Amino acid sequence: MQLTRPPKRAEEKPKAALMLAAALALPGVLPARAETAPEYGMIGVRYLHYLDEQSGLRRITVNSPSLVFLAPIAGEWSLEGGLTTDNVSGASPRYHTLVAGASKMNDRRRAGDLRLTRYLPWGTLAVGAAYSVEHDYGSKALSVQASVSTEDKNTTLHFGLGGANDTINPVNTVVVNEKKRTTDLLLGVTRVVTRKDIVQFNLTQSAGHGYYTDPYKTFDTRPRERIHNAVSGKWNHHFSGSGGTSRLSYRFSSDSFKTRAHTFSEEYVQPLPEGWTLTPSLRYYSQSAANFYVDAVYDPVLGPPFLAGIRPGSRQYISMDQRLSAFGAVTYGIKIARQFGPDWSAEVKLDRYEQRGSWAMFGNGSKGLDNLTANFVQIGLYRRW
Amino acid sequence: MKRLRPARPGFACCLAILAAGCSFIEPVAPWEKGTLAKPEMGFDAARFDARYDEHIYTSREAAPAASGVGGGGCGCN
Repeated sequence: MQLTRPPKRAEEKPKAALMLAAALALPGVLPARAETAPEYGMIGVRYLHYLDEQSGLRRITVNSPSLVFLAPIAGEWSLEGGLTTDNVSGASPRYHTLVAGASKMNDRRRAGDLRLTRYLPWGTLAVGAAYSVEHDYGSKALSVQASVSTEDKNTTLHFGLGGANDTINPVNTVVVNEKKRTTDLLLGVTRVVTRKDIVQFNLTQSAGHGYYTDPYKTFDTRPRERIHNAVSGKWNHHFSGSGGTSRLSYRFSSDSFKTRAHTFSEEYVQPLPEGWTLTPSLRYYSQSAANFYVDAVYDPVLGPPFLAGIRPGSRQYISMDQRLSAFGAVTYGIKIARQFGPDWSAEVKLDRYEQRGSWAMFGNGSKGLDNLTANFVQIGLYRRW
Repeated sequence: MKRLRPARPGFACCLAILAAGCSFIEPVAPWEKGTLAKPEMGFDAARFDARYDEHIYTSREAAPAASGVGGGGCGCN
């Protein structure tokens, strides 16, 4: 659905952009392209259902209804936001993928976010806020973002700064009122390459301090600091023959836990007659293990959860959380969307996710873990005004 | 609050090189941007999908959410 106006003519010299380019010693930066305020508003309801499974255990089921909206204000502002409730139930292994003794859970997470954007001749300024509440976890976040475009509106630089303050109060009271504070930084560039190609590159850094341990896992102690860096590239290409659009992306990330992750994704948006759109997608993700993750090799005498060759308490940091192991994961799915007249649209998205140690891109992956699978169903209904 | 560390020189230079590389690209005129104005050509075209996708992946994988800054937290990760 078209939400933006045709690009406005630049009415003044992009002084800020030129000064910025000079400051960054980037003589090659060409004049840029400003984002424009949405011409129409939109409100939508969405519903997500998913189920995590492994051999012999139905893990987590989540049902999430949500409300999303995007509202133009006075032609030069927009307000965007959403409200979500996650109803979570099921069981999660206390270590590795061991089914016996899996911790049962039943939780409701409520989350909301809001972003106000001002559109200017040379770019945009935006402020955002987000919050979430669970019975044992709370989070508040603030962000400021800006974009600066060059005069021909072909290049846009993006900047972002954000901070989050989380509070952790697990029901088992192993800790009380623990905190986790993070600061995020974003630097990016979007560039029109040809009449049918546009690319975007982003650098992000996140620095956090506080409680990263999972209070519900056995023998889990993690560093209280986590620094994370990521670089990503996206390329959208339109095919004149089919009228379809390829949306390709790659992301590399690394952090102070020594995990390295690669994410490749591709989706192809194919408009069809009578308002239908078909979007198949494929994603591959691979990560190395955190340097304090320990494999599922148990003491032959004591058995699980006692690890072979590791005495309890002998290590400063340790985790047997599957999410910190080395693995690869594949997601494939399809989205079917239908436009009903000028104002209404609906969509259904189905995805299948599978995670295996043997699918890790480098090395052999972590041993002794069951494969994790998940099925996602998303339904959305939108009204434009 | 933990301060951000200065990015590694090579890491920070990536953006500069990419931006400088843009100078070798033939500029596209405003009247040639009809295709680029299509919603699916925008990087925020799937903005509502992204809300769910980030939540889906951050609860199963070590890498944090892909979208920028200021997202809300979750006890799931």
